[in-house]
Amino acid sequence: MTAPIRPGDNARLRMGVLGMVVLSLFAALYARLWYLQVVAAPESERAVIINQVRVVPEEAPRGRILDRQGRIIVDNRVSQAVTVNRVAFRNDVETVTKLAALLKIPPAVLVNRMNDQRYSPYKPVPVAEDVPEDVVVYLAEHRDEFPGVAAEQLTERAYPNGNLAAHVLGYVGEINDKELKDHKGQGYRLGDDIGKSGVERSYEEFLRGTPGLTKLEVDSRGKVLQTLDSQPPEQGKDVQLTIDLDVQRLTEESLVQGLEAAKKAQDRENDKHFVAPAGSVVVMDPNDGAVLAMASFPTFAPADFVNGIKPEVFQALNQPESHYPLSNRAISGQYAPGSTFKLVTALAGLENGLIAPNSSLTDSGVYRVPNCRGEKCQFQNAGRRAWGRVDLRRALAVSSDVYFYDLGARLWLQRDRYGTAIQDTARKYGFGQKSGIALESEQAGVVPDPERRKRLHDRFPDKFPERNWFTGDNINLAIGQGDMLVTPIQLANTYATFANGGTLHTPRVAAKVLEQDGRPVQDLAPDVVRKTDLGNGRDAVLQGLRGAVAEEDGTARGAFSGFPSRLPVAGKTGTAQVAGKQDTALFVGFAPYDNPQYVVAVVMEEAGFGGSTAAPVARRILEGLAGSPPGPVQLSGAID
Amino acid sequence: MATLTSPSRVRGNPSPLRHLDMSLIFAVLFVAGMGILMIYSATQNRFETDPRFFMERQLLYVLLGVGVMLAVASIDYRVFRDNAHLIYIATVVLLLLVVSPLGSNRKGAQAWFQLGSFQFQPSEWAKVALIVCLAAYGAAHRGDLDGRRLTVLMGLAAVPMVLIQMQPDLGTDLVFGAILLGVLLVAGARPRHMAALGVIAVVSIVLVFQLGLLKEYQRDRLTAFLDPKEDTQRSAYNLNQSKLAISHGGITGQGLFKGTQTNLSYVPEQHTDFIFTVVGEELGLVGSGTLLALFAFIVWRIWRAAALSKDLSGTLICIGVLAMFVFQIFENVGMTMGIMPITGIPLPFMSYGGSSTIAFFAAIGLVLNVHMRRFT
Repeated sequence: MTAPIRPGDNARLRMGVLGMVVLSLFAALYARLWYLQVVAAPESERAVIINQVRVVPEEAPRGRILDRQGRIIVDNRVSQAVTVNRVAFRNDVETVTKLAALLKIPPAVLVNRMNDQRYSPYKPVPVAEDVPEDVVVYLAEHRDEFPGVAAEQLTERAYPNGNLAAHVLGYVGEINDKELKDHKGQGYRLGDDIGKSGVERSYEEFLRGTPGLTKLEVDSRGKVLQTLDSQPPEQGKDVQLTIDLDVQRLTEESLVQGLEAAKKAQDRENDKHFVAPAGSVVVMDPNDGAVLAMASFPTFAPADFVNGIKPEVFQALNQPESHYPLSNRAISGQYAPGSTFKLVTALAGLENGLIAPNSSLTDSGVYRVPNCRGEKCQFQNAGRRAWGRVDLRRALAVSSDVYFYDLGARLWLQRDRYGTAIQDTARKYGFGQKSGIALESEQAGVVPDPERRKRLHDRFPDKFPERNWFTGDNINLAIGQGDMLVTPIQLANTYATFANGGTLHTPRVAAKVLEQDGRPVQDLAPDVVRKTDLGNGRDAVLQGLRGAVAEEDGTARGAFSGFPSRLPVAGKTGTAQVAGKQDTALFVGFAPYDNPQYVVAVVMEEAGFGGSTAAPVARRILEGLAGSPPGPVQLSGAID
Repeated sequence: MATLTSPSRVRGNPSPLRHLDMSLIFAVLFVAGMGILMIYSATQNRFETDPRFFMERQLLYVLLGVGVMLAVASIDYRVFRDNAHLIYIATVVLLLLVVSPLGSNRKGAQAWFQLGSFQFQPSEWAKVALIVCLAAYGAAHRGDLDGRRLTVLMGLAAVPMVLIQMQPDLGTDLVFGAILLGVLLVAGARPRHMAALGVIAVVSIVLVFQLGLLKEYQRDRLTAFLDPKEDTQRSAYNLNQSKLAISHGGITGQGLFKGTQTNLSYVPEQHTDFIFTVVGEELGLVGSGTLLALFAFIVWRIWRAAALSKDLSGTLICIGVLAMFVFQIFENVGMTMGIMPITGIPLPFMSYGGSSTIAFFAAIGLVLNVHMRRFT
């Protein structure tokens, strides 16, 4: 179609022109390359050495943590510190001696602090805090004599209330490899601080703030030539908790007193004192799931973690003899609920129509399983008391086991009709699943059922030799024994759900996020998991729980004798048997019982009867909430 | 095909494959291999990704590119020429789609389609497509471009250029301009037309600056090369670091993977637009001079294919490819050395990037195509 190009063609000439242009362009590139790499090279050699940009990150102060009323629980403290950058430091005797003299510390102490293994090599090590101003000025003026030494303002966590609410607050520490990986892309660097547990961890994104970044052009000796870019750090947001400092203090004191008192009491079963090593209490507002106080004993000092915890301290916190103070038993301790679980059994019976509020039986102190021909066919009341004719209300008040044995047995024997009624109700009120509170390492507890038993047996036949579920298992479950396990927060939440008329909330410890000046950033609103209709049986149950506290034979009557009438309490005691250990003492109560504002759940390990040990702790807390000056915890002589 | 009348029958083998320009292929593969090595050097210290990530990706792109090159070479270029109108329409549609909400925006330019973890950048393909289209139209008039035909040719180039300016991508538009100029020159535009175009180009560049049609960062980048010592702004700072890196290489270079400017990440976009600085710093005048010589060799083979082509359409295709390569090499290398303004266009076969690498291979495929069919 088109003709080929012939020599002498116009196009040929034009291509010649193009070729010349291309040649000259390449020639220009070569000329420039020659200039840069031959003529200018010696000068560039020097320029490259000067040419060093140093990025100086500056961690932002964390946001503060405030209590329900805006009072500061966790604050920041600014300290004028002298730090040593180990990479840049001239580590010879002369420099060390000079620096030690300047800081007025013995050279050995200085060397020790500099070699502190708690600091990553990427982070300058503080060797002296609260250094006087003239030392700072001297260091600035004699920078060349002390390479790698700097005066820095360090912001660190301060705890004006000591160890109060330690488990809720959690602690801050240097970021580790795993956290660095998990927070990839969020600007964390080696050596940065990060919330390790509690609220510090859950609300890290708000508390952390934005680190500052200064880009300096420096020469090879570290002399700053100019600031290329500077971005000041921005302090993190404040987090306001639902925790009330006063209630928290009252709660922690009461728990410690209760445990101390239990240690002095005799265990009637084996004539020993109770061990009472640990316990926890949750105080909650049943109307929105706000946690007012959360105590766990033994506890720890979050301040120990500031600037890195000493290895021996950390080791001590993880010894079995110390009963693991870092563990927050209120959310991660799993206990048999004992008689406190009877609330669930009662509701299961009512909801399924097996009993009516006025259903009664004669409690002779012993329950015989119908059509039973095995070794374990007979179940007894605690203390073998015979209560005579009991209806639901009275069964709860005096904690008649026989009444609930009967309920448990009948629900199982008629399982074609009722299925796993107790378990279903337990799950509906929050057992067997994490409550969802914004604190890490929460446990889910266990709601045992035939299905689970089969599964466990099939997987581990040696550890779980029994594959079938028997009537006796349902009888045990009905009074909160067997494999049933709950956490204190679940216990509080279930009673809160009953108290408020059937709304299960996600318990929460934080209410809102604020700017430093108090302007709101984000509201952490209450969260409703589900609503349940408690039906017309609720009143009988409520009266039963009230009776446990107020009636003559009530299991918590003794603990609450003389309690101010302006805050009428309802509740349930529990004493759970644990294989190889002393009994767990439990009490859950709420007040005022007809219009509840507070739920208090107390769980004490190896501390005896709930009515005699746990209820008095709750009483002291509720007394404080009622506005009375609380007296010392006094154990009472109850038997459940 | 009329193989019997072909001069190649004397050699007894009618297959065009016999005339494949192996030296061009080897030169291109050598440069591409060097590119992969330099990309690895520029990115191995990035802590946010796997150090081999960019290198492995680029290796993949080069392999794909070789496939595309061979595929393009295997279909007679006259088939492309005769279907140029279809290629043109498809290109314009793609460029329209990318500025529509279907395209993705990154670093302020609406220039990509996001396909999984890969990005497809149609403007790179548009360059190759436009070469074929301009060549087809130019060749249809047998080297006689009067004012009307010249206007049509320029109009053909203007439509994709406007669409690309909407992204906006000034650098690619300049490449289009270079391709257009090259094709016009060889297709037979009259000297006074060429002179007039030169005047218009100068006037419009002045106007673009005066009327503030450029975003401030664009102007800063473009003018920073005029006097980089004057300010410490970002662009000038980057340019100084770039020149310093090349200069730091000296005659023999700092050694592979040993460039301090490179290792300390002083040069921005070093694995893409500023890849030449890695060659300069680590391989010195020896290495960068060799690279430029390889580029010159490639350009010479393209020029030769243009001269040997059986017909004008083949010549013009090769000239378009030549103009594209020369402009991108000169602008990119010139920019890193401070003699050209900074615009973000890649260095052929060296800069990291999928669409551009594969498009460059496709362009070489066209040249091989024309070259091996010069007798058929």
